[in-house]
Amino acid sequence: MIGQQIVNGVTLGSVYAMVAVALTLSIGVLNFLNFSIPGLFMIGGMTLWALLDAGIPWPFAVVGALVMAVAASLMVERFTWRWLRGAPHFVPLVSSMAFLLLFEHIAIAYWGSDMRVVPEAFSGGDWRIAGLVIGIPQLMGLLCSIALVAGLSWLLASTRTGRALRTIAEDPDTALLLGVDINRVVSVVFIVAGLFTALAGILFAINYRQVHPFMGEAVGLKGISAMIIGGMGNIWGSIVGGLIIGTTEVFAISYFGADFVDLAVFGLLLAILILRPTGLFRGMQPVRFGI
Amino acid sequence: MSGYFEGVLVLLAINVVFAYGAYLPLAAGQLNLGIAGFAAVGAYGSAYLSDTFAIHPILAIPIGAMFAGLIALLVAVPVLRTRGIYLALATFAVGQIVRAAILNLEFLGGAAGYPVSAFVGLPVVLGFALAVIVVVMVLFATRFGIALRAVQDDERVADLMGVEVRGFQMAAFILGAAVAGIGGGLYAHHFSYIEAQYFNIGLSISIVLYVLLGGTQTAWGPLIGATVFTLLPELLRGSASLRYVVFAAGVIVLMALRPQGLLTRATIQRLFDWRNPPIPGVPMASGRGQ
Amino acid sequence: MTDTSILRLDCIHKNFGGVNVIDDLSFEVQRGSRTALIGPNGAGKTTVFNLISGVFFPDSGSIFVGENDITGIKSGTRIRHGIARTFQNVRLMPHLSTLENVILGQHSRNRGWLGALQPVNLLPGNRWCEEARAGLADAGLGDYERASVGSLPYGVQRRIELVRALMAQPKLLLLDEPAAGLNAAETDELQIHLFKLCQSGDLTLLVVEHDMHFVGALCEAAVVLSFGRKIAEGTPDAVRDNPDVQEVYLGKSASPVSAASEKKEGDRASQRA
Repeated sequence: MIGQQIVNGVTLGSVYAMVAVALTLSIGVLNFLNFSIPGLFMIGGMTLWALLDAGIPWPFAVVGALVMAVAASLMVERFTWRWLRGAPHFVPLVSSMAFLLLFEHIAIAYWGSDMRVVPEAFSGGDWRIAGLVIGIPQLMGLLCSIALVAGLSWLLASTRTGRALRTIAEDPDTALLLGVDINRVVSVVFIVAGLFTALAGILFAINYRQVHPFMGEAVGLKGISAMIIGGMGNIWGSIVGGLIIGTTEVFAISYFGADFVDLAVFGLLLAILILRPTGLFRGMQPVRFGI
Repeated sequence: MSGYFEGVLVLLAINVVFAYGAYLPLAAGQLNLGIAGFAAVGAYGSAYLSDTFAIHPILAIPIGAMFAGLIALLVAVPVLRTRGIYLALATFAVGQIVRAAILNLEFLGGAAGYPVSAFVGLPVVLGFALAVIVVVMVLFATRFGIALRAVQDDERVADLMGVEVRGFQMAAFILGAAVAGIGGGLYAHHFSYIEAQYFNIGLSISIVLYVLLGGTQTAWGPLIGATVFTLLPELLRGSASLRYVVFAAGVIVLMALRPQGLLTRATIQRLFDWRNPPIPGVPMASGRGQ
Repeated sequence: MTDTSILRLDCIHKNFGGVNVIDDLSFEVQRGSRTALIGPNGAGKTTVFNLISGVFFPDSGSIFVGENDITGIKSGTRIRHGIARTFQNVRLMPHLSTLENVILGQHSRNRGWLGALQPVNLLPGNRWCEEARAGLADAGLGDYERASVGSLPYGVQRRIELVRALMAQPKLLLLDEPAAGLNAAETDELQIHLFKLCQSGDLTLLVVEHDMHFVGALCEAAVVLSFGRKIAEGTPDAVRDNPDVQEVYLGKSASPVSAASEKKEGDRASQRA
């Protein structure tokens, strides 16, 4: 039983973790709390549903959803970041909040505000190992998440772009001096953030089979919590934070009921912000980029 | 007055009240993303009082606002130790916690919402809104206003001038929460039904956005922002969602072109200068704003 | 501690990131005097001001204002001990009008809730407003009352900052490069103005400046810093002739006449011609 809870917790946790990674990347490299990310999550999930609903086969629907979310992310970049480098510091945050509203209400205008059901992805089996039931979607989801995180790690550690990202995170001025093409590199941040968040939305849609225009709010906000818990700018921290929140949530629901979950999660967030804003992991500065 | 105009005016009044609730902390340089949570406290608090104890709404609403202020007081001391992003996130967490707590309280209806039997019509709503406007305007015309705006401009120097920065920030935060509570109470008693889901992050974001749209440099800004936000759908005969789309797009464009908002000191300065022409050789405020 | 001392620094140490920015610094400023704090760039003069006004706390040592040890007192409270200051880069509130900036200077005399609720902008005839207006008029800045400070010329902003500082009715006024950016005529005006302010003996000036002519005309005492240490103290003339001071400014056998004051000398000369 506990084992099953853990499996479920990891499933949920990896959704939160993906969102948290997207958030933490933006904060770490750009010092930008990107409030539009919950919107991208929703775009990933709902576009998947919409494409499936239109009869498009699964693989293409997934790709379509990813493309849509990345496009939206780049639009956010253009309007919150590229024009606004010299502006007062609150401007990108505020614009990203406006984008969240924008995405949500475009979705409502287009698709209505009802919850939609996503068809089953893999009919036929679940894996059964040692009394645990692991759905194929859950497994696929986990594998994709792992692959994405591995890809990101490789990107950051071994490529020029990755080095550029880390340089900007350390010191944007030095990065400029070193000839880093900031515009191009910043686009990479937004693209990666879009990919991670969209994947989270797709995973959510596949695993929980429900999407609706406000789905980003609940999950996105827990993603923010995960980011804070793990330490802003710390990718592995975000992953751990997401898993912690996911497993806590699953256990809390089964022992205390769904009502208390939100209280517990946001209570934890508040406590951490007040007592240890740098997050659970030692040695990480609040806005330092680290793996 | 036709029902339609009445409806618009009520919405305008309530939005104006919400706007001033968000404006107070913003004027001290703080972003309260939990503002909807405080509105919820005012809404549920006043509704519970008027339903259970038959207290007249005109009394219940201010008391509900005091509850909101009290919660803000409890939260302010630890939360206002944080800064910048952390403060915004902490206030957002507070708003979520309040909402989650309300959802858990069965005597407040839980997820099913809470019907409110006492009713306030347009005159009462307008009365409260006007009272809030007058109080905030007068407050900002006192040394309190100067101190707050100094803190927003340059906290370090304000502190060296002897301004009790933390004290003023707390006062602005608590007062803002109480004002938001009034807005919540008005909403509850006019629309006769409230549910915790309404007081979500989207509401907080909308309020903050229309205050920033109006401009936070002067006490007239929130009025402008709330008016634009409320009247927008009346100009667009389309659905409610379209209004948000246009509003959000408008804010994005505005932030790119004129982040200080629609109304700045410079704009007001020029309005006054039109009546008192400037003295030659003395440069007056430029239109770009600061 | 002599009876006539208004400010005393005792063995102050301040270290930033491994560098001793202030190193075992001790000096006294006499009540009612006009004292200069001079030294080459990087000597730590503004840091001394920041320590006195409480922006940082010293790592060790004490600071006394009058009889009171203010070393542990927080920055927001120090103005109540009679310390006011101006800043190297003028720090007026950009979104407040000139008059409002000056009214802000009165804040320390108006604490508590009643003080915060004074309707200064509501009833234009009230006494605080009038006092602020009078202060601006005295400085010849009455015309700029309603102007938004961000757009005013630099020299005007500096003078407004001085009026603001005086509103606190300080005992000790710290002026950080008050003559920077002023031309010769303005500098002379400023020097005369400051001299007049001190005539009653209630106000003490501690001035950081590079313009030696200004210092020589205004100040009766000087403290010289170099790399965070005091290397000389005395009258401006004595200090100018001190070989250690000369060495620090321009190597050996040269007097510490800064480029700025040389230029002003030139201006004066050409005006006389």
